[in-house]
Amino acid sequence: MKARVPAERYTGASVRRVEDERLLTGRGSFVADAQLPGMLHAAFCRSPLPHARILAVNTEAARLAPGVVAVFDGAQMAQMASPVADAGDSPRSGGPVSFGILAVDKARLVGDPVALVVAQSRALAEDACELIQVEYEELAPVVTVEQALDPSLPAIFEELGGNRLFGPETRVFGDVEGAFARADRVVRASIRQHRHQNVPMEGRAILANFDAASGQLLVRAATQGVNTTRQMLAEQLRMPLDRVRVVAEDVGGSFGLKFGASREEVACCAASRELGCPVRWIEDRWENLTVSGQAREESFEVEAAVTAAGRILALKVEMVIDSGAYPGFAPGVVDIVREMIPGPYRLEALSFTGSGVVTNKASYVAYRGPWAAETFVRERMIDLVAQELGISAPEVRLRNLAVRDELPLRMVTGPSLAGITSRESLLRAVEIVDLTGFREEQLRLREEGRYLGIGFATYIEPAPGPRRDGGEESTEQVRVELDQDGSLLVHTAQMPHGQGHRTTLAQVAADEFGARLEQVQVMVGDTQRTPTGFGTGGSRFAAMAGGAALHGARRLRGKVLEAAAQILDLAPTELDISGGELVGPGVPGGRLPLAELVGRIDLAARSGRLPPGTDADLTATADFDGGQSGWSGGTHGCVVEVDAATGLVRILRYLVVEDCGDMINPAVVDGQIRGGVAQGVGAVLLERSAYDPEGQYLSATLMDYLLPTALDVPNIEIEHLSPVRLDPDVNFRGVGEGGMIAAPPTICNAIADALSPFGPRVLEQHLPPTRILELIGALPD
Amino acid sequence: MPESDLRPQGSLTIRLQVNGEEREGAAEGRTTLADFLRDQLGLTGTHLGCEHGVCGACTVLLDSLPTRSCLVLAASADGSHVETVEGLAGNGQLSRLQRAMWDSHSFQCGFCTPGFLIQAAALLAENPSPTEAEVRHALSGNLCRCTGYESIVRGVMAAAAGPEPAGVEPT
Repeated sequence: MKARVPAERYTGASVRRVEDERLLTGRGSFVADAQLPGMLHAAFCRSPLPHARILAVNTEAARLAPGVVAVFDGAQMAQMASPVADAGDSPRSGGPVSFGILAVDKARLVGDPVALVVAQSRALAEDACELIQVEYEELAPVVTVEQALDPSLPAIFEELGGNRLFGPETRVFGDVEGAFARADRVVRASIRQHRHQNVPMEGRAILANFDAASGQLLVRAATQGVNTTRQMLAEQLRMPLDRVRVVAEDVGGSFGLKFGASREEVACCAASRELGCPVRWIEDRWENLTVSGQAREESFEVEAAVTAAGRILALKVEMVIDSGAYPGFAPGVVDIVREMIPGPYRLEALSFTGSGVVTNKASYVAYRGPWAAETFVRERMIDLVAQELGISAPEVRLRNLAVRDELPLRMVTGPSLAGITSRESLLRAVEIVDLTGFREEQLRLREEGRYLGIGFATYIEPAPGPRRDGGEESTEQVRVELDQDGSLLVHTAQMPHGQGHRTTLAQVAADEFGARLEQVQVMVGDTQRTPTGFGTGGSRFAAMAGGAALHGARRLRGKVLEAAAQILDLAPTELDISGGELVGPGVPGGRLPLAELVGRIDLAARSGRLPPGTDADLTATADFDGGQSGWSGGTHGCVVEVDAATGLVRILRYLVVEDCGDMINPAVVDGQIRGGVAQGVGAVLLERSAYDPEGQYLSATLMDYLLPTALDVPNIEIEHLSPVRLDPDVNFRGVGEGGMIAAPPTICNAIADALSPFGPRVLEQHLPPTRILELIGALPD
Repeated sequence: MPESDLRPQGSLTIRLQVNGEEREGAAEGRTTLADFLRDQLGLTGTHLGCEHGVCGACTVLLDSLPTRSCLVLAASADGSHVETVEGLAGNGQLSRLQRAMWDSHSFQCGFCTPGFLIQAAALLAENPSPTEAEVRHALSGNLCRCTGYESIVRGVMAAAAGPEPAGVEPT
């Protein structure tokens, strides 16, 4: 089947989102909007202590409180749901740990759920939580990495024998010692990222409805993927997969947080099964900020072997990740950071040592570009090298970036760099900001006591990353179906939570099939019909789901034309589907609406008038691995002014030059980029998940955990580069994470440049006014 | 199943004019206006993002003033006029603001949307042609985690200025 190229395409146009009319009129459908007859409400009694033995839980008063239907403590919950087993397990871990859905013998962080109250209203459930008496024996809190490595402090998990979760494990790529021997100098730095977090505007949420008659658990979830949520719920609840159905509608943001099923969500399902009633839990903001999960707390010791000409030959990196209380996601992050840290640069050798610890803080979760430390560390390090060599930072980048037609076009850690446009993006960014002109202006303003700075960062984003040599392929499945009414139903495991997939996937399918956009319905979020796939994450949508939809629509189009040709006694080549109708010179009247065509195919099939071998099942399924299109990427540039009196940073200009392949919907792409950059602005200037030395959480309200507002995020200039098209059909690439990956180093590099007259080495990501004043020397460090 | 009635009836009867209609429902003394609108009146377009008055998702017009409905008790709003996001589209037609926001790809996940729309509507009622700085200032008490705000600001500016946007057919 040859690809059709219609004159006018939806793909590539900023068509308005089909999602928006509902959302703009207050007709969205979030979990908190759902009501069921007999629905009960959940609230959790949570530990006020970061580290404590639980000696007794007395729930008697709570059980007798008004409106309370049931109270479950950790021991009871352990009978109702399996513990989370083998968490943090990996070949190099200190050993797998397991822990209860509710805390049983031990509380491991402030907010650890100790008991679940189910009552007739949320207010009554919260009232009853206050009546639960928990007897704790306080243990010394383990708050920092240094404390985690201190053998005199108690182990958070006894079975680990300490608080080291895994490692240190070293892997070496290339001739590291040789490269260091050839180097003219070694630049060293200790670089760290601070703990910050997702904070979607909608917190976690679940409505669990166990039907005792059918034995089926029906779950309304706020999730990034219904299949993954179902899988985890079935495991924890020891239910067969076919007894659990997970449905999702609108999801109010996530950024990596809402994957699978959290302990609280499992607990609500277990309670619903126990009580035979629908149970709803809507996380409040305190819970969201305190216990839903946090990310990014990682520290790095870096040594770079550099030549006098500014070539970075090799890196030695030691990374420690603070996994927080309950292990899960952190070991995998270390693996991706190790693989990605060379980025688009011609590093010859790398020694990478990774390790992780547990602490009495919120558990480490995925947050938009979870491995982003590789870009932060590398791009900050490049500026430090440039500073030390007295070469401009963009020049050092240029001297090290891979060149597309020079071999080996491959990271020293393995992945191919085919198709990257990193050099083009950097050159263009430098050109747009007029670097020479800026330097003159910068010097002039310094005379007036104004401190401007410029920073760049170049990144690549696996979206979904290059095909692996040998390794296990990950694919995405889309099922396309021509409905009786002539609609094209596009079933995907992607679960949009702001990305507009109901629009963008329809654009791709409509073009390929020949349908009108309004004929296409993208079907998401129901395990009863959702195809296989883990859901939305890892910037997989555009290339993988987009590609699967394209191939699925193409296959179905072929089937439909084949069947139509049989009915009309024409050759398939005499027919076309265009504008949502079957057209062709031999078609009676020149055109036939799809609904009518489906009816005629159906009738012909049922009356046996189709020749044997004709496929009248108007459904096609396609699996796609992303094709040859591996990388998104680009360069961000930023100009800041630092007020040396107040420490306040103002972003004067922010620029993104990027390549995410062929865009499906440019307005959606730009929205993803701007949203990601905004989170980077927050990470550097505002946001921090702060704990006191005793392990109490200090950022538990939105007055303490500061999100950027419309006054903090500047307008962002975006320029899209022409991509290198490596795949015959599918050259879309994901774009969800790059903004958040590149913005923190870009802004930090700009601030460091602004502060250069004061001489500090900027080695961290969080630069609020107090820290700026410390770096300037106006406040004691 | 518990035998008692599943939704506790509050002891207070609250009467409001909501989006031009007289509405009545029961509330406890501690019931917030937001919970009353959502749970008693079924107006779930108003969202709760923080319940401590910071995020602005629950903003409604209370006697014409943009107000955090999570910080107001239903009892103290008794007898007031309330406008929610559901009231913005009159006669099934999107308002000029809603159309401009749609055209501008203003929002992503849609959770903060009701608060921004109400806040922006209040701004435009007071200042029909605001500058970008005025729009940003007016919206600075509303949090959006998805967009970086530029698309929202542009949507409000488009609603304020320029020609009447073309009619929008429902999808």
